[in-house]
Amino acid sequence: MPLALANLLHRKLRSALSILAVAIGIAMLLVMLGLTHGTLDEVAARVQSVDAELVVLPQHENVIFTGGAAFSDRFRPLIESCTVDDRPAVRACLPVLFDTIRLGGQQQRLFGVDPADFPAFLGPRRLVSGRLFEEGARFAAWLDTLRNADGHYDPTAVSDNELESACELVIDQRLAAVGGYEVGHVETILGRRFRVAGIVESGVAGRVFCPIQTLQHIKNAGLPWASMFFVQLAAAPPGRDAGWADRCAAALAERTRARVELKTAYGDLLAESFSQIFAFIAIASALSIIVCFLFILLTLYTGVVERTREIGILRALGADGGFLLRCAVSEAVLLCGAGTAVGIGLAFASKGLIEHLRPLLTVRIDATFLLLAAVIGVAGGAASALLPAWRAARLDPSAALSFD
Amino acid sequence: MSAECILEARDLRHVYTDAGAPCAVLHGVDLSVRRGEFVIVMGPSGCGKSTLLHILGLMMRPTAGRLRIDGQDVQRLSAAQRTRLRRAVLGFVFQRFNLLPVLSARGNVELALRLRGARLDGPAAAALRDVGLEGAMGRKPRGLSVGEQQRVAIARAVAGRPRLLLADEPTGALDSANAAALLDLLRRLHGAHGLTTVMITHNEHLAGHADRVLHMIDGRLCDAPAADAPPDRLHTRRGE
Repeated sequence: MPLALANLLHRKLRSALSILAVAIGIAMLLVMLGLTHGTLDEVAARVQSVDAELVVLPQHENVIFTGGAAFSDRFRPLIESCTVDDRPAVRACLPVLFDTIRLGGQQQRLFGVDPADFPAFLGPRRLVSGRLFEEGARFAAWLDTLRNADGHYDPTAVSDNELESACELVIDQRLAAVGGYEVGHVETILGRRFRVAGIVESGVAGRVFCPIQTLQHIKNAGLPWASMFFVQLAAAPPGRDAGWADRCAAALAERTRARVELKTAYGDLLAESFSQIFAFIAIASALSIIVCFLFILLTLYTGVVERTREIGILRALGADGGFLLRCAVSEAVLLCGAGTAVGIGLAFASKGLIEHLRPLLTVRIDATFLLLAAVIGVAGGAASALLPAWRAARLDPSAALSFD
Repeated sequence: MSAECILEARDLRHVYTDAGAPCAVLHGVDLSVRRGEFVIVMGPSGCGKSTLLHILGLMMRPTAGRLRIDGQDVQRLSAAQRTRLRRAVLGFVFQRFNLLPVLSARGNVELALRLRGARLDGPAAAALRDVGLEGAMGRKPRGLSVGEQQRVAIARAVAGRPRLLLADEPTGALDSANAAALLDLLRRLHGAHGLTTVMITHNEHLAGHADRVLHMIDGRLCDAPAADAPPDRLHTRRGE
């Protein structure tokens, strides 16, 4: 190790460049992993805050792209009337209609929810300023008076003024901070002027909500269709708690032919949806890391060629292949260890920069990722030393001593 | 091989291949060196002295012949066994010093000790004190004079108490005053540590330091001086 360290210190610029190369690869790996997992985990965690046990999604549809009016108004009664063990399985069904809007400088998923259901979405989070959907609730109640026996109404009976009063948004604090939005702010989305009615603590399922009836009127001519449902389950029969949610999910799936999952599995659904992106990131990260280690390999290999005479001296002094291997591996591990440490620092700096420039993105760099980076850094460095070490060990000592 | 002999070579031959053409360097060298002897091998450039020393130092295999060092028939040893024998028995001093430039004087000596599995602290400092470099232990080779570098090389070679010291033109890069001082030093260490030394040189003025002088002419060793060499310079025994 002293010889390895001395060799590295003797060639400071080359060592510094090698360390930088590894650092960039490690930082890239950590940031890519942290960005994808951080963002997905943050979305999954927000969904967990909804007071419900199950999610009902369109069959065979990617959860990320779930949107539009996937479920007609016939589904909700099917869900609500589901029974398990001759008992009602569902306490409440919370429809959500999604749309995509642009707010805070980037695309946002707009959650259309029933104002009456909003406490379930708010969970333990507080209203920070403004109010919830009062006008939206009045609009929903007024629409109910217009509906016929099928639950439909004539959309032409709704004037622009009546609709505009129900064009309300509730946003979370993070989006409000990024966009500089305050209560009363008016934003044109979906061709209508929406007003920010309230701001809630971050951590709610969506960053931006509006009354589902408003969105249904704008998007579906008033048809009470939904993109997905959160389902609150009825209490399990006494003594039969175990597997109750699973049995209810199975019964609902059987009844609706939709995809029914435990809410706790939402993170897995997101990960499944991003599997192709994860594969791309894994390949891109692997390539960047391989390029870094090829750089290290080249550095060490060049070092071996340059130090042929020194290797001859070592052989003359009695150094065997094992000693030369340890020297090369030690140099590589020192370089890559330092590169990994610098790379981790760079990754945290990048995380700070990304979260400063794009506050709605979350970069999560946790202990698992750091451990992975350290293992890749050190193991990759050691592996990249093998070829140079092999060449050093094979050098003929007499010829090496004659090398100029 | 007698028990007194630490090195015995019989009919050593070596042929290089140069651009596909064979080029014989050693033509049957016979050499016996007793323990404690200080032998100088002299000869003109290109006569095969360095090749012989590399073969004696187990860094090359001869094309033919037998070689025994410290009682072991080295022809039968694997590369790893030869490395172990070299590490345990031999010490080297090179013409170009061959110090590792990245290590200090002390680091160079310690490295040799580490390779032999010896203790590092005491012997390294003692070896450098022996060669008069106690004040230069932390300096790297480029900060040392040519004479000092060669003394570090000698300290590195003897620190591990090798049984056989091989020196390849150790004074080749030195002026005559430094060369004489270095030979005095080598001779002193040779006696103090009970070494056996085989030194190669083409400097006839150094012959007086040897117990025995051999001449290498056209790839062969002989006791007689070359016909054109001044006889009083050759075959000298120290003190005679």
